[in-house]
Amino acid sequence: MRARACSATAVAIGCALVCAFSCAIATAIAAGAECPTQAQVAEGLTCQCGCGLTVANCNHPMCSFSVPVRAEIDSMIGRGMSRAQIIAFYRHKFGEKVLSAPTAEGFNLLAWTMPFLAVLLGGAFIVITANRWRVAPPASSPPPPGRDRASDSALKRKLEDEIREQL
Amino acid sequence: MADLGKLTLAIALILAIYSIAANLYGARRGAPAFVASARHALWAMCAMVTIAVVALWNGLLTSDFSLEYVAAYSSSTLPTPYKFTALWGGQQGSLLFWTWLLLIFSSIAAFQNRRRNPEIAPYAMMVLAGVAIFFLAMLNFVTRPFDLMSPIPAQGQDLNPLLQNYWMAIHPPSLYTGYVSATVPFAFGAAALMTGKLDDTWIRTTRRWAIFSWFFLTLGNLFGARWAYEVLGWGGYWAWDPVENAAFMPWLVMTAYLHSVMIQERKDMLKVWNLALIGLAFSLTIFGTFITRSGVISSVHSFTQSGLGPYFLVFLAAVVAGYAGLIWFRARELRSPAEFESYLSREAAFLFNNLVLIGIAFAVFWGTIFPVLSEAVRGVKITVGPPFFNSVNGPLALALVFLMGVGPLIAWRRTSADKLVRSFAAPIALGVATALAALIGGIRAWYVLTAFSLSGFVLGTVIVEFHRGVNARRHLVAESAPRALVNLVSKNNRRYGGYIIHLGVLIAFAGIVGSSFFKTEVKRSVREGESFSIGPYQLRYLGMSAVDTPHLLSATARLEVVRDGREAVTMEPAKLVYKRQEQPATIVAIRSTPLADLYVVLAGIDDTNRATFEVFLTPLVWWLWAGGVLMAIGTVVAMWPNVRERAAIAAALSRARAGELGAEPAPGGD
Repeated sequence: MRARACSATAVAIGCALVCAFSCAIATAIAAGAECPTQAQVAEGLTCQCGCGLTVANCNHPMCSFSVPVRAEIDSMIGRGMSRAQIIAFYRHKFGEKVLSAPTAEGFNLLAWTMPFLAVLLGGAFIVITANRWRVAPPASSPPPPGRDRASDSALKRKLEDEIREQL
Repeated sequence: MADLGKLTLAIALILAIYSIAANLYGARRGAPAFVASARHALWAMCAMVTIAVVALWNGLLTSDFSLEYVAAYSSSTLPTPYKFTALWGGQQGSLLFWTWLLLIFSSIAAFQNRRRNPEIAPYAMMVLAGVAIFFLAMLNFVTRPFDLMSPIPAQGQDLNPLLQNYWMAIHPPSLYTGYVSATVPFAFGAAALMTGKLDDTWIRTTRRWAIFSWFFLTLGNLFGARWAYEVLGWGGYWAWDPVENAAFMPWLVMTAYLHSVMIQERKDMLKVWNLALIGLAFSLTIFGTFITRSGVISSVHSFTQSGLGPYFLVFLAAVVAGYAGLIWFRARELRSPAEFESYLSREAAFLFNNLVLIGIAFAVFWGTIFPVLSEAVRGVKITVGPPFFNSVNGPLALALVFLMGVGPLIAWRRTSADKLVRSFAAPIALGVATALAALIGGIRAWYVLTAFSLSGFVLGTVIVEFHRGVNARRHLVAESAPRALVNLVSKNNRRYGGYIIHLGVLIAFAGIVGSSFFKTEVKRSVREGESFSIGPYQLRYLGMSAVDTPHLLSATARLEVVRDGREAVTMEPAKLVYKRQEQPATIVAIRSTPLADLYVVLAGIDDTNRATFEVFLTPLVWWLWAGGVLMAIGTVVAMWPNVRERAAIAAALSRARAGELGAEPAPGGD
């Protein structure tokens, strides 16, 4: 029975983390949807002027990279290109360093998966360790059904005891 | 002054070596006179480095360009407050400042423990002196603050214009204070491992130091964010730059540590984990300095890149290897009779809270070093920027906020399902109501809806906790509700200070979400008298004024800002050019309200007198700073001396002493 509960918990944690991972990927993918804005595309590119910001955020008025690139992006959006197509154009032109996030392919997949894998493994470790530490609660401890009022007053007593100590 | 500075730094290094030797001999041979002498040596080191700091400040304030450091980071036209802050504006000065803080904190810790913890204190002082030796060796042999110039220049090169800002005057000292004060709990943790005194004495002794470090790391990160917001002029406050990440990681680990030590204090569990966390926090402070100094990872914030990287890397490797070796050596003794009853317990919530915090810290670390890995493995340079960090950390942040709400309302050991339902009914209702309100308000982004809903839920849990406590007091003592609230917080300040911090984190989180998702921006070039609008604001360009001083040239634009045709204010964004460095800087104009910030940047002025403005309307940024203030208040409340807690510590110490009297005296630390 206990082992079942543990497995269920482990499965629940796993599912939660897989969901979180999926959501993160979904967020990243959603940014590449059709009809992008200039800011959405520019957020995916790193300015090469040395400011360290994205093309969307570089605010050097005379920047030799972000200013013309933003104008080009507007023009490409006007021609009906998608975010993915525009990003691919710049990747081809400047190499991977122009992307503001690693691509989800090859070695770069490690960048995206490792944090979630680490959390998943950490979660599994906690579940395994906690199960090893697990002790049965005292026989009298599970409150019988229908004792809501009683558990309420127990909680109240506990709080009041704490406050008495402070007085 | 240069000779005095060099001499005092050399003496401090010799004293540090003596302090370690005397502590080691005194502790192992049971010779208190040697331990006392080592303590005095530590105080003398502090005095020596204080003299060196004063000598460098004197050089900066008197524009003594015979000193290489002063010539590189100051000028005779630099305003006096920035001459003062130039101490940490360059590499040698900032390392001197770091060493000074380390010795001040070490001296305070030595004073606090002059009659306490006789078994572990000498070893902790040895660790502190050991860390000081590394920094003093750097200052004496590698990056010397008192090197002389020849020939002496007539003028200095001036401080980097980006650092000539109020927030930059207080951001580095706050961050350094947070970084350096983490050394004290680390030293006591290492001392516990060296001596085998592995109970929670080291945690209780350094609990306030850990909170103090967390407090200043919080302030340091917030001040840095505020600096970026006001100075960099891109409308944001956090760009996931490697140096920002380096400051954020120790904060995450210290947050995990402050939660997990509660489990050890309460249930004598997680000894290895707590020791590992404080070791990790300290290592990350050194890693942060390595990133800032080495230039291995390019960063917009690395103002003082140099060849110091390898030294810091070797020191970091030695710290990690030595500390991990100590934990390995004590592994058997660190096993504790751990008991775990249920996943519906506060200890389980803390365990998962630790998992998520360390998970976020790992994600930040991984994203920070991944460009280096990519170049090493594939030979391809890549950038890991905001889209990566936001996508990876976004879901983990939601999990963290959820656990922040769950933890306080469930009991230690176990919570029954019916109690759980009753405890969470009101917070869940508040969470659902928040989500509905957001939906009605037109928000459709799933992340924002979830984030606001969870914020409502956590707010509910904090309200329930305060409500329960106040009611219990009023039931026992005839007090008015406000008085019961004040007494509740003041007499159990650690717990309720923690809840105030949670409230601050929550408000800051809502601010981060709001400002990240709903920012709008316009860029307009206008002539005098022309207007443009953003959101409910109409902005009319009134004109430009210029000021020429020996130090800088400034052009300030005046804009009349009208909201919904009612109130009118004047905003004055400016562009500066610092003459010594011929470098432009931006002074943004911000009109901040709890609902949204109007943020105006003067982007440029052309030959035809057209001024270009970049204007951002960013909702809820104010909440981030307000949350920070609340976090600071909560930390002060949690740190406030508590008579009951002092009595508990005294009782624990006397129990420990009584136990030792009955045991065989230990000859040494092993």
